[in-house]
Amino acid sequence: MSNLDLAQSGALGDSRLAGRRGAAEVWTVANELPTFFAVVAAIGLAVYLLSNQFFYLNLLTMALLFGGLAVSWNIIGGFGGQFSIAHSVFFAIGAYTAGNLYKHFGVSPWIAILPAMLLSAAVAAIVSWPVFRLRGPFFAIATMALTEVAIAFAMHWKAVTGGASGLTIPYRAGLENMIFQQRWAYAALFLGYLAVTLLTSIVILRSRLGYYLQAVRDNDKAAEASGIPIMWTKLKGMAISAALTGIGGVFFMMYVRIVEPAGLLSLFDVGVKIALIALIGGIGTIYGPLLGALILVPLDYWLRAFMGSAVPGGNLIVLGLILVLGSLFMKKGVAGALRQVYRAWSRQQ
Amino acid sequence: MDQFFNVVALGMLLGGTYALVSVGLNLIFGVIRIVNFSQGEFLMLGMYGAYLGYSTMGLDPYAGAFIVVPALTLLGMVVYWLVMRPLQNEPMMQVFASFGLLLLIQNVVLAITGGVGMSMNTPFSQVTLTIAGVQFSATRLIILLAALVAAGGLGLFLAKTNFGQAIRAVAQDRMAAQLMGINVERTFMWSFGIGTGLAGLAGVLLTPIYTLSPQIGGNFVMAAFAVVVLGGLGSVLGALVGGFIVGLTEAFAGYYIDPELKHAVIFIVFIAVLLIKPSGLFGQAGAEEVGLREQS
Repeated sequence: MSNLDLAQSGALGDSRLAGRRGAAEVWTVANELPTFFAVVAAIGLAVYLLSNQFFYLNLLTMALLFGGLAVSWNIIGGFGGQFSIAHSVFFAIGAYTAGNLYKHFGVSPWIAILPAMLLSAAVAAIVSWPVFRLRGPFFAIATMALTEVAIAFAMHWKAVTGGASGLTIPYRAGLENMIFQQRWAYAALFLGYLAVTLLTSIVILRSRLGYYLQAVRDNDKAAEASGIPIMWTKLKGMAISAALTGIGGVFFMMYVRIVEPAGLLSLFDVGVKIALIALIGGIGTIYGPLLGALILVPLDYWLRAFMGSAVPGGNLIVLGLILVLGSLFMKKGVAGALRQVYRAWSRQQ
Repeated sequence: MDQFFNVVALGMLLGGTYALVSVGLNLIFGVIRIVNFSQGEFLMLGMYGAYLGYSTMGLDPYAGAFIVVPALTLLGMVVYWLVMRPLQNEPMMQVFASFGLLLLIQNVVLAITGGVGMSMNTPFSQVTLTIAGVQFSATRLIILLAALVAAGGLGLFLAKTNFGQAIRAVAQDRMAAQLMGINVERTFMWSFGIGTGLAGLAGVLLTPIYTLSPQIGGNFVMAAFAVVVLGGLGSVLGALVGGFIVGLTEAFAGYYIDPELKHAVIFIVFIAVLLIKPSGLFGQAGAEEVGLREQS
């Protein structure tokens, strides 16, 4: 049932748009580009306008990072229907790869992006191969177990992660070090990251792999019967998703310059939050995860500031409630709700 | 050699703890196939319930169980009716919703208690038995015993009683069960309630051993999921054996490899078993998929 709902939010929504332009026309990457450029330009304008307001700029920067992460997650979680909560592992791999290469070998983080991507994708493929035999919630539980393994290893492997006290990067500002004095530069950096993930996600959705992933999500038996290599499709989707998440880790490392395993691999603060953002925004849509990040990240900060100080854990009480109510009443997220409103409105016209 | 037997004893006692924690989850996740990540929070509520009885009425935690377990059964039934029932056919939404419940319950308790660690004693806390140079703590032995009784009781209940058969029938084929005159909703509600009640029982029995904190449920819930999947979904014997495997693995890995890596070792074993036998040790082949078949 849930699969069908997801299919409607993605595939049917687009066929409706395609239908209006003539039934024969297939919706392609080129059709998506105007919206993409408009969205990126709008956020770029917001970064420019906020460049002197540090509080809001920081908020936007974090929203863009989590937006990018959720868009990456959405490739395997939304298009492919494989709800991973282990994406914090790939995020951490990216951060540690860049951190160690920079700190010990003086390698520029820009160059470290490549090994970070490769390593994240390789780890994702190796661990996913056994885990992809499991379906639905079993898959989610196994990825949760992977997070536990990763935390244990990160705590143990002090040479790479610095153990519980964390890994720190010396402050040496400069473009080649990806460390900036101006706060707006980071916002621009994360906007770039978001743009890369969005573009990848658009290309995949409109490619053979995207259609394969959606077929596997909606009915894996039928997909297999039609000759789609299920395991290969899922592995490819996972590897791409993990590689993009790894890039996010690189940028995050250079932004905060100190990371520790408990924070980086936190089940709630990273792993589940990425999936939650996509859920709130709209799973399986292109811009839903971004929308979710723009809503949830500021809300989280606000709740932390106002509720968290009044009642211990108050912010998490509210987030927990949102999570329960969201999964009960807004399964298609804000993007799905907006689409429904739009449809009702256009029917009236 | 003495060390070895001590490690084995420790592993068996830990295994009893994991088995007891897993019995309730086995019913909820193994038999009726509802994903409940908030199971650990019911355990935590059981611990705080026992503490409340102890601090307000001076109840021994073992006596407090007679109040706490029915209360948590009732709470579980309410949670099922309000949250899980509307999401019956959507396992992925159950993951999200139960994670939300986890955050909610955990932080409500945190808000009420202010996060102060609490601990309590019973007359049994300090008692240890020594058999042939190997030490057993009395509270752990009680848990081991309770695990055996609870698992045996649940097994008999599912196999022999009418209601137990109804639960299995509903788990296997909802529509056919309904056609046979079983009230499906009520069966699910009771199963969920019994499962959370058993989590509460585990919590009560754990209070003399662990310091209470709102986050303590997390220490057990992942292990419990590992135990249930490892043993084979819906298999009571499997959950018991799975509990001992996890307990022994933890004790041996903690002693012979590195205490920091003991959790990693458990989950590597867990993933290895899934690789070789996805249905778990005692599960029927394909059992991991049956529950996900779309039922209408």
